[in-house]
Amino acid sequence: MKNTLAVAAACSLIAGVASAQDETLTISVYAFGVDAMSEAIFTPFEEVCGCEVVIETGNSVERMAKIEVNAADPLIDVAVMSTQDALQLAEQGLLQPLDVSRISSYDDLYPSAQDPIGNHHALGYGFYATSIVYRSDLVEIDSWNDLFSDELRGRVALPNITGTQGPLTLYMLERARGGDDLGFEATIDAIGAHGDDFVTFYSRSSELAQLMMQEEVIAAPAGRFAWSRFVGAELPFAWAEPEEGQAGGMNVITMTAGNGNEDLAYQFIDYWLSTEVQTRVAEAGLDSPANMRVDLAPEVAEPLTYGADLINSLNMIAPADIIANRDAWLERWNENVLN
Amino acid sequence: MALALPAAVFTALLFLLPVTILLSEAFTINGEWSLQGYVDFATTPLNQTVFLRTLKLGALVAFTSAIIGYACAFCIVNLEGKSRGRIFGLVVLPLMISPVARTYAWIVILGRTGIVNDTIVSLGLSDTPIRILFTETAVFIGLLQLFLPLMIISLVSSMENLPRDVISAARVLGANWFQVFTKVILPLTKDGLVMGGTLVFTGSLTAYITPAILGGSRVLMLETLLYQRVNVANDFVSAGVIATILIVMCFAANLLLKRIAKARS
Repeated sequence: MKNTLAVAAACSLIAGVASAQDETLTISVYAFGVDAMSEAIFTPFEEVCGCEVVIETGNSVERMAKIEVNAADPLIDVAVMSTQDALQLAEQGLLQPLDVSRISSYDDLYPSAQDPIGNHHALGYGFYATSIVYRSDLVEIDSWNDLFSDELRGRVALPNITGTQGPLTLYMLERARGGDDLGFEATIDAIGAHGDDFVTFYSRSSELAQLMMQEEVIAAPAGRFAWSRFVGAELPFAWAEPEEGQAGGMNVITMTAGNGNEDLAYQFIDYWLSTEVQTRVAEAGLDSPANMRVDLAPEVAEPLTYGADLINSLNMIAPADIIANRDAWLERWNENVLN
Repeated sequence: MALALPAAVFTALLFLLPVTILLSEAFTINGEWSLQGYVDFATTPLNQTVFLRTLKLGALVAFTSAIIGYACAFCIVNLEGKSRGRIFGLVVLPLMISPVARTYAWIVILGRTGIVNDTIVSLGLSDTPIRILFTETAVFIGLLQLFLPLMIISLVSSMENLPRDVISAARVLGANWFQVFTKVILPLTKDGLVMGGTLVFTGSLTAYITPAILGGSRVLMLETLLYQRVNVANDFVSAGVIATILIVMCFAANLLLKRIAKARS
């Protein structure tokens, strides 16, 4: 009996020590570039915290569904996503407001990244510009309206409305046409009227890159994060700076409500937003920094959305406006463009 | 009967049960039984377009593959020895290559700078390359190439059982080749045609990769629409409705082809 108790005591002691060492933080991230992100952020963080980082990936719908169905006992501690997805989860009570006093680099963030969806439910960790990638040897792009020009007829791809780039493209086309209706009705109808002039409505930047390398498409709106696919290509590609400006968006980092792992989650968010890590991520070309103190060499900054002037000039759609209008956009798009 | 029990249990647990759960989503809204999902689907113009397009392309691919399939099968069964094996091997070969690889090859072939457009321009049929990718034509070509081998295999196995003498007899009795085909070959190979037609039609209906890559969002088919409803809209009711429609269409096609074959005989 004594032996049994001794073994049990030893086991519980070992288990106790092990659980301290085996703390885990589960984060939900975009499926894009996970290995590189691990090298730049997740693995170094494991060394800092002495914990294990578990990575969950998938498309936005899958990742949001996972947070929603496990709301009572969250599997995910920290999640990165678009501002509109974060706002949707926050409105469902699935995210917890962040105590920004626990984020040491909070004051270093661009003002627009400090509270992008309200109530400190999220912090911006990266920006991206959206403009037009085009073949500089074949055309010149000065305006978003050029996408409708005769010169480009049959050689333009637009992003599908179901992705993040779709609404941003409609936003800029609406402005270029002189409108300011967030319902984008006239713009969607105009795309529908020119439906056959567009090669396709792409869903992934990899799909666009392939079509442009194959010379099927010579101009298309795209996120700056996809620009690295075109840099160094054999064909001459350029990034347009249209007279109406560039659109843009922000990705945010959030913490799920009631995950019980808040201390480690705060440590991780603080780590990701620190000048050191934001610089490392930018230098690896993975994300454009939201931390104002990140100082990059011009050749490192060139492919990124970098600098206060550019970031402050981006035309962004408020996440609440996206949520309020996206069903109507999709319905009109399906009726007048795809049908 | 008892020997079949393990297989029956296996099928029930791993196929029928999951399919039933999936399909029941289409009859449930907010936990209550409802047909509203079907009503919403049927009254949406885009869904009507996609449904009719899927039906049209499936039928067109099955019909075209039957015509080409008969010609190929007739040639193959009339070959002797090694050449027959080699040609049949070539027919089967594409089935051993991933549909993804085969479909991506079509992107290169059908593109503006691909071999088809190069030929069209060099022959003077058009001054500029024409757009084939992301059209119904591209999806049709991709599906036809994908499923034609199944039709040929079905027809070859059916024609192998066709006594050669009956064709000679029909010719001797004065039938032309069209009459030989419609009055002799077609009735005697109808089982192969039903099998091949069912495989090609249902395959075309349920193919995802080919319409997704060659049609994109411009040429939505039921399968690509189903994917969008799940992965973009998280709408499992619509997805269940589409899945049910696809299953019904597949069974209906098989029954229809059998009925036509029976009526002919």
